Amino acid sequence: MAAPVNIQTPSKTWELSLYELHRSPQEAIMDGTEVAVSPRSLHSELMCPICLDMLKNTMTTKECLHRFCSDCIVTALRSGNKECPTCRKKLVSRRSLRRDSNFDALISKIYPSRDEYEAHQRRVLERLNRMHNKEALSSSIEEGLRQQARYRSERNHRVKKPTQESDNTTFSGGEDNVDVRSHLSHDSTPHPRCQTPSEAGPSRKRPRASDDGSGAEADSGSPTPPLRRLKEGLASEIELVFRPHPQLVNSQDYNQTRYVKTTANATVDHLSKYLALRIALEDRGQEEGGKAEEREGESGGTAGGGEGSSLSNVSEKQYTIYIMTRGGQFSTLNGSLTLELVNEKYWKVRKPLELYYAPTKDQQQPQQPPEPKSPPSI
Amino acid sequence: MASQNMDPAATAASSTAALKGSESGGSAARGSVTKRLQQELMTLMMSGDKGISAFPESDNLFKWVGTIDGAQGTVYEGLRYRLSLEFPAGYPYQAPRVKFMTPCFHPNVDDQGFICLDILKDKWSALYDVRSILLSIQSLLGEPNNESPLNTAAAELWDNQEGFKAHLHLTFQK
Repeated sequence: MAAPVNIQTPSKTWELSLYELHRSPQEAIMDGTEVAVSPRSLHSELMCPICLDMLKNTMTTKECLHRFCSDCIVTALRSGNKECPTCRKKLVSRRSLRRDSNFDALISKIYPSRDEYEAHQRRVLERLNRMHNKEALSSSIEEGLRQQARYRSERNHRVKKPTQESDNTTFSGGEDNVDVRSHLSHDSTPHPRCQTPSEAGPSRKRPRASDDGSGAEADSGSPTPPLRRLKEGLASEIELVFRPHPQLVNSQDYNQTRYVKTTANATVDHLSKYLALRIALEDRGQEEGGKAEEREGESGGTAGGGEGSSLSNVSEKQYTIYIMTRGGQFSTLNGSLTLELVNEKYWKVRKPLELYYAPTKDQQQPQQPPEPKSPPSI
Repeated sequence: MASQNMDPAATAASSTAALKGSESGGSAARGSVTKRLQQELMTLMMSGDKGISAFPESDNLFKWVGTIDGAQGTVYEGLRYRLSLEFPAGYPYQAPRVKFMTPCFHPNVDDQGFICLDILKDKWSALYDVRSILLSIQSLLGEPNNESPLNTAAAELWDNQEGFKAHLHLTFQK
């Protein structure tokens, strides 16, 4: 503290208030006396008045002794008047400030775990935010309901006889309206040539498939699978939670979390192509309605020209799929890996596999995309 | 349930929001603005000031609606004014845009609701917040700056407090 000692010496002029001129200095506490300080008053002492957060890399103004976070005061000086935000005393530049490492040390003594403190702050604010942010609340409820629905349908599926043919790679998306989804499985499902349209139908509405189309489906497909295959069929469906890569994808672009259920023998490439189609469809916008896609059913790669062209250009090279490894790193998945392998190798946990996607770098969309890989064995 | 459904992308975003954006414009900067506004909202709700209030207009934290009650002993006593506050991405380094939504007959308020107040312009400091702005405007109501009026009629009538009050209450519309 600047002690008002040498008021008389003309070398330095202190602009002191009457109070400051006449106050008697506080006695230093030398014995073991403890002074209780309420957390609230402490908080206002340790808080940066600009960000209202706890001081971080404290800077103190040299003349008026007001404290700020380094970042905060630097930004304030850069963007505003060259004066102390607290008292308007002139601050010419950063040189009017000094680093206050003692204060930083004091803070870390009082709050040894800053992360913990910040996490607590965040929780409080989030609660507040949720209170006033109805939209956030409703969307979080929605997501919860979706999760529950997914688990429920999975459970139902387990209880009932698994009638799904396990060889077709069938994607059923979770988050969209039924409209888009149905076109999607039309366009995106790399189905075998022999597949009949009637088969593609029920497989879309997977959760209820066993109610309506089970008989027909079982007949039309491959011969009745042996018991062992049935068991495998149970395990060979994989649920995915599919999110944009948090570092590579601008959250404005596609922030959708996608829920996908597919057979375990689908490869990463299949997934990637499905995604590309999905996004292409979404980009084309809802205003077109569904009819165009309905007509152009892509069996045999005869996807119609004109408005359908954007769909036929879709390739599995457009998006790269990542998985988060234990260290929090994202690693790229090889396109030929089956999801089953990915699950075994990287995930292992008994909950939906979580994958991330991002547009492939330096990948120009090819004019004539390679024919999608034929789906796994029939 | 919340933690289970947490989107990793969202958590990443909120942790960058916790970092202070020294450069304005980035999403991190926007995050720190949000954080500060949330802090302000919380203190405002806890403090229970009489005569002023403010709350985000909708889910958008960057636009608030505030109210000011005319202070006791002034001609504005008994009148309540609604104001809008819009926070720029550079807040708190830049002042929010504050405007009367309720028409206000006052020497320093124009017919559009714009307020001539130095702390909202060149005297802005990052230390001001919603609370101090509303309190400043509340005291401006009772103590106008008649040197540089936006509403000259109001400035001329000010000295006649009885006449001013009569006109004010006659023309007041919520």
